[in-house]
Amino acid sequence: MELSKFSVGNEGREVFWNAENFEGLLFAFTAVAMAIFAYGIYRRWQMWTAIGKPEVRNDQIKERIKLLLKNGLFQIKTFRDIYPGIMHGLILFGFIGLLFGAAFDATEFHVGEPYGFPFLIGKFYLIFSFLMEVFGLFVLAGVFMALDRRYITKPERLGYKGEPDNTPDDAIVLLLLGGIILTGFVIEALRIHVTNPPWEVWSFAGYTLAKAFAGVDNNTARILHKVMWWTHTFMALGFIAYIPYSRLVHMITTPANHFMASLKPVGNIEPIRDFETAESFGAGQLEDFTWKQVFDSDACTRCGRCQDGCPAYLSGKALSPKKVVQDLKTYWLERAPMIAAAKKAAGKAAEGTAPEMPAATKAMVGEVIDLHELWACTNCMYCMEHCSSSIEHVPKIVNMRQYKVLTEADFAPELQLTYRNMENNSNPWGVGSHLRADWAKELGVKTLAEDPNVEYLFYVGCSGSFDERGKKVSMAFAKILQTAGVSFGILGTEEGCCGDSAMRGGNEYLSQTLMQTNIEVMNGYGVKKIICTCPHGYNTLKKDYPHFGGNYEVYHHTEIIANLIAAGKISLKKPVDGMFTYHDSCFLGRYNNIYDQPRKILAAIPGMKLAEMDRKLDKSFCCGAGGARMWMEEHDGERINNMRTDQAIAVNATNIAVACPFCLTMLTDGIKAREKEEKMASLDIAEVVWRAMGLEEEKPSADVCAPTE
Amino acid sequence: MNIVACVKQVPDTEAAIKVKPDGSGIDEAGIKWVMNPYDEFGVEEALKLKEKFGGDVTIVSVGPARALETIRTALAMGADKGIHINDPALEGADAYNIAAALAAAIKGIPHDIIFCGQRAIDDDAGQVGSVLAEFLGIPQVTFVTKLDVEGASIKVIRPIEGAQLLIESSLPCVVTAQKGLNEPRYASLPGIMKAKKKPVDVKNAAELGVTVAPKAKIAKTLPPPARPPGKIICGEEPAEKARELAKLLREEAKVI
Repeated sequence: MELSKFSVGNEGREVFWNAENFEGLLFAFTAVAMAIFAYGIYRRWQMWTAIGKPEVRNDQIKERIKLLLKNGLFQIKTFRDIYPGIMHGLILFGFIGLLFGAAFDATEFHVGEPYGFPFLIGKFYLIFSFLMEVFGLFVLAGVFMALDRRYITKPERLGYKGEPDNTPDDAIVLLLLGGIILTGFVIEALRIHVTNPPWEVWSFAGYTLAKAFAGVDNNTARILHKVMWWTHTFMALGFIAYIPYSRLVHMITTPANHFMASLKPVGNIEPIRDFETAESFGAGQLEDFTWKQVFDSDACTRCGRCQDGCPAYLSGKALSPKKVVQDLKTYWLERAPMIAAAKKAAGKAAEGTAPEMPAATKAMVGEVIDLHELWACTNCMYCMEHCSSSIEHVPKIVNMRQYKVLTEADFAPELQLTYRNMENNSNPWGVGSHLRADWAKELGVKTLAEDPNVEYLFYVGCSGSFDERGKKVSMAFAKILQTAGVSFGILGTEEGCCGDSAMRGGNEYLSQTLMQTNIEVMNGYGVKKIICTCPHGYNTLKKDYPHFGGNYEVYHHTEIIANLIAAGKISLKKPVDGMFTYHDSCFLGRYNNIYDQPRKILAAIPGMKLAEMDRKLDKSFCCGAGGARMWMEEHDGERINNMRTDQAIAVNATNIAVACPFCLTMLTDGIKAREKEEKMASLDIAEVVWRAMGLEEEKPSADVCAPTE
Repeated sequence: MNIVACVKQVPDTEAAIKVKPDGSGIDEAGIKWVMNPYDEFGVEEALKLKEKFGGDVTIVSVGPARALETIRTALAMGADKGIHINDPALEGADAYNIAAALAAAIKGIPHDIIFCGQRAIDDDAGQVGSVLAEFLGIPQVTFVTKLDVEGASIKVIRPIEGAQLLIESSLPCVVTAQKGLNEPRYASLPGIMKAKKKPVDVKNAAELGVTVAPKAKIAKTLPPPARPPGKIICGEEPAEKARELAKLLREEAKVI
């Protein structure tokens, strides 16, 4: 045992023990590592700023700092998936702890000791030592969990179509992380082995490991210690230098992406404002995205959460949100250095001359991103809701669709027909627009033209006006409102298509025309409050219409019905039979956070037995109809609606309650496809309520042969 | 290759057609006007030929001011210029006069091939293409579902009951388009925007040197006859009802 200034009651250790005359070398190596790091960040900065249109993402600083703390520091989005959340949390928080530890050590050595106020002594030292052991073990546990996931368990989402998408970088990073910790423990163990103070039992891991060196003589241990110390130091410095050149860059880009996350309503698509003079629309090349849309890809950690609930991916389509982001990143890595160099060269040339940019060598839409991927997206928002890096996939998809539809006019013929129908008759089926209000004929529902002094406009939408099943929902809901004494009216034949499918299918020009036509009519009547039975209309009226001067209070019928029940305005007396399950519509749930109202309504119905499907609430599985998929053929893989129906069958549901006409159609079709029509039905919540209110007339089948008087 | 496509603006296929009480035509209020679908096949084929052989596509249409929208639709699809024959005297004129006006306009421009729809879905007359060919003194091939240009002649397919005819014709020639010829394209947005600036010549009959003198005219537009009410067969036994049905089909409906 060596002589020491430390003793029991004055516990401590010599910082940088056995590392005499190391400072010069350590500082030199640190400087090199920092220089490599700085250069990497400089290069990356040039790449981040090389491509993309302007976009403001540094407004509302307070909100952004909150997001940064919430998702960057406290990892709230990462923890939403518990196992990987803990895995990442162990590594991150362990490392942050160790970083503080290293800072304490350095302060003690360079400030505390030389200036005569050492603080790493006594009880504080013991607690400090204990905590460092804990943090070290945190990181090690996290690394082992990560190794297990990536190389042994191999969950589907760490790959694409069953093939892991591991890169050498993944292994290097994990080995560096694990190596830094392991060498750290070995160094500690060797020091304890040589100096052997009794209080080092607080450094329980190193203390235990020291026993492994029992037979090693002190000189050998000192040499070994020195070697390990430098190995540890090189690994740590290498880690720092490696950050900008590896997946570790997410330590910068991911928190930055949380800070710069969209503060607009969920699902917002920025409207195209210039149709008259632009030559190209949407995103056909990286340059057509905003810089933030491009930056997104560099924040992706390939964790695959997006893929885990993507209805397109899970049903066997080519689309994986992760793959889209990664393919865009690969293309960016290829293009950005060239463009950055061209900009630099242009900067040196005469001011005012437009820099000559290297021409794109391939089509982003069609080659980098396959068209099957592009058109498979249902805009269900699962990927964005669950992305732990706040990446915005859906607007990128819509922007690329805009390019195909508006600029190239090259897209599925059935969607072309849908758009023509919307153009000519303001509905996707192309039914004569004069028939729009026929469903209401027998109900005595007034149009705003007949009586504009009503509280609510019931915006019926195309499904509610033309689809046979949708019309029944409209009738049921109108009767509920009438019974509850709610003052409302409809636009009748003055109503037009809401524009959601056109917008999400990339036809921004058509969608804006449709929206503006409706806004003109609604503003003409001074409409203030609107109720929609279709979540697509609801979402777009609420969030997109304000872009064009349509500002209304918009409600979904489940919100209204839930309020009517709570206020005792409607009584539910007729019990229902069978087992219900509720299917969350994407545009209601993930887009608008309406999860409770539909469930509360169902719970209020006498005799209600409700089973929840596995994929529910914010993890709900799309019916397959969003993002204009309602109007397109589904050629690849399995049908999404059938898969969702299977999930309902799995919980023995006899009734699938929905709150969306698209979901109603899709699940009704799914029930037919699974040949369960005899045992199962899909019902809108309005229909369930209407029945429970006893409003459904028992229509005797008309006896035409009865003798007439 | 200089290509001409004649188009007519017609009510949308889904529009509710209401006959005016005085029988002078249909009530145009609330009607959505579109390009005659058969003419659209003609425009699309014209554009395909232009893409293959180069040249210009000129759209010619007879109609009131609103017909300009339909010309612009064709220009948005990719046609180069338009001639809009707008003359009140031509409103509701017979095929002979319409064709005379079209012929006068087309004579003034180079034309290797002229497309028309096989008929317009509003009056279903199906005459304009043929009369136009006569006025121009050139051959006509009608109801075409496939077209190939070979040098100065064309080969087209015309389906008939149980067979199809391969018809060859010299150019210039009038082709009337039938469903199946192609899938008309969806106009791109840059196309729509450019169409607004493409030249459209507006001419009246006098400027074309045409005197409008209808030989046939629509005397009156009548609503279609009301459908006779259906009949429900009553009875206790299915066999009895079937006998009654057979009897009625034979004696009243005279179909069996």
